[in-house]
Amino acid sequence: MALRISFHRRFVTATVFFLFCVFVLPAIAGAIWLKVFTSAVIFALAARGASLVYAQLGLVNLAQIALVGVGGWVMLRLNYATTLPFELSLLASAAITAIVGMLLSLPAMRMRGLYLALVTLMAAGAFQILFTAFQFPNGGSGFLGVAMQSPGEMRRPFLARSDAAYLSYCVAVTALCMVLVFLHERGKAGRGWALIRQSEANAMAAGVDVTLFKVWAFTLSGFLAGTAGALLAGALRLLDSKSFPAGESILLFALAIVGGAGHWAGAVIAGILYRVVPAVLNDFGLDADLALILFGAALLHAIITAPQGIAGQILSASAFRRSAT
Amino acid sequence: MKLYQMSAIAASGWLYLGLTAGAMAAEPVCGLNNAEKASGEPILVGGINGNAPPGDFSGGTDAAAAYFACVNDNGGINGRPIEYLVENDQWNPELASQVATKLVKDHGVVALVGNGSVVSMAVNARLYVEENVMVMASACAISDCYENSNIVSTNQGPLPSGIGAMKYAIEELGTEHVACIGFNIPNNGGWACDWVAKYMESKGKKSSALLMDPASVDLNSVYLQALAEGVDSILLMLPAGPALGILQVAEEQDGRDTFKWISPTPLYDPSIPGTLGDYWDGHVFVNIELAPFDSSGNDNGNWVAVMDLYGQKGDRRDTFSQSGFLSAKFFVETLLTMDPDKIKRDSVTAAIKGISGLKSDLLCGPYYVGDFDRHMPNHAGRMVVYKGGRFEVVRACYDIESSYLDAIRQQERALNLID
Repeated sequence: MALRISFHRRFVTATVFFLFCVFVLPAIAGAIWLKVFTSAVIFALAARGASLVYAQLGLVNLAQIALVGVGGWVMLRLNYATTLPFELSLLASAAITAIVGMLLSLPAMRMRGLYLALVTLMAAGAFQILFTAFQFPNGGSGFLGVAMQSPGEMRRPFLARSDAAYLSYCVAVTALCMVLVFLHERGKAGRGWALIRQSEANAMAAGVDVTLFKVWAFTLSGFLAGTAGALLAGALRLLDSKSFPAGESILLFALAIVGGAGHWAGAVIAGILYRVVPAVLNDFGLDADLALILFGAALLHAIITAPQGIAGQILSASAFRRSAT
Repeated sequence: MKLYQMSAIAASGWLYLGLTAGAMAAEPVCGLNNAEKASGEPILVGGINGNAPPGDFSGGTDAAAAYFACVNDNGGINGRPIEYLVENDQWNPELASQVATKLVKDHGVVALVGNGSVVSMAVNARLYVEENVMVMASACAISDCYENSNIVSTNQGPLPSGIGAMKYAIEELGTEHVACIGFNIPNNGGWACDWVAKYMESKGKKSSALLMDPASVDLNSVYLQALAEGVDSILLMLPAGPALGILQVAEEQDGRDTFKWISPTPLYDPSIPGTLGDYWDGHVFVNIELAPFDSSGNDNGNWVAVMDLYGQKGDRRDTFSQSGFLSAKFFVETLLTMDPDKIKRDSVTAAIKGISGLKSDLLCGPYYVGDFDRHMPNHAGRMVVYKGGRFEVVRACYDIESSYLDAIRQQERALNLID
């Protein structure tokens, strides 16, 4: 009964937060903050992908930003090559990036910990080189779609042409993806991941297909990154190779840990830290790189005192307050 | 480069400027020039620069800020001061989008002046059209800057300046095959080198584009690539820093005489002569988009005077600075023709689009805007060579031939600026 009440309370909280972000936030935010919040929402989705693999399997994927780039690349290519509606291009971008994420999971079959992290980081570096060498489509012809010209027009969804509407749209898509992850965590995949996290040998003994479930997690993570990349292409209307350096994946992963890897709110906090904090510093006339110092301190704090991240601390405090009353 | 070497270069640059300024020391002339501080309701004007590795394009906004400060001390815009809001996009597309939105939508600036950035124009070109705000830019380097109805730049950009350098190199240096070294950015290095290739082809010559990653500039490898291509000339289609880096690599390899060295305007910078040294004497040819720093024209002298009196210590004083000064001057002259109470964005945009036939000794031709879908008023330049520790003009004003300018020449005919 207590569990059901707790779930009900969390559902209501999540719904209220969602409605606030869809309807209130776009209405009250200034033009620059619409852009900043849109970026934060998009990278919250990407952070959820990174934290999913870490929280469920204990594996570190440092190629998430590169996968965001892949999603963005596919989105731009489909935008210029076809007349598909935004939603279909979005789904296709997410699906193709999910396949790339699945391929990235192959090393995970044999590696864990530091070695897997390094391999995914190397993969991110390889994508960085590919993005630089081949660039992002800008309306040119051929498979790569790059012409030595100004970029063409990147379409936005029919109902979300303005920045405010696009923020609402990104929030809605992100919420849907969060629900998708939640359903996975609560379903067969979540049970399989939980067994693997505790002991791969025991999971196998219990009849869990370890390979399948690992691939599943990476594919879902890639799907989220691809969706984020496609939304980012719609937000900025163009992408460039400098925006997806390998090192950014480390930062995003660290912020996912700081936010709290096991909860959707942790990803939201990661998105806020990743994009809103530097913008606030900029707005105060301070160097946005100061945020890196704050992030370092926050990571130390998370490692030493808050393994569940800021989201975990908020949830614990909330539970403590309820039990006290 | 060692710190003391950089200090020496900076000092020599300042000394050079000091001598230049000394030669033309004069009181600045700004706006109404009545020595009365403007105190009315401020007119909000924005500016965006890109100042982060691999290049600093802040010269335009630096000079515009100095000129506006001078205007505010001299009557402003018929009593109203200009409040100039400058943002740095740090070569980051997301940040570029955010700062432009902040200036245009949140602050509601009437126009943007002095802009100089590689990423901002591409990201924000659509915003400027949708919001009907004009950008009088000063350090444009990408195609989007020259192919938009609401952006007009006082500088030429790499396409005309690069082709101008090639025209000289073919006619005077005997270039047959050039390596165009630029950044691997489709609407920057790719665009400019592509049009240089078309120009070379039209002259029966060859060209090879060597485009490198702006995020990890590997100057040694690009130099070796140029050697492998078997070219006889190198066109440095780069900001001053990386261009200088390639010259240093070539000096270490004693490769000065292997190629003819030519460059568009970014290498024309007061700090460059101190850096190049005797080794490069007479071997580096640069196309300059505006008048030489030590030229005797009124506007050039006024630029020096304004920067001396109103510039900040760290302000750049390069071609883009001259360009920023000129953009700001034309902007102020336009605003001064308007009723100060009716200075709103729409009226300012209409007034700027009405500019035609303005002249300056800094430019080789007339400055105009017009109501067109693209703008490139400045496409004729001069050629200088590094000699005797300074830059020396080797060819006075000359225009380029390129089919890219066909639409531009039609505009000039429509405005009766050419026959």
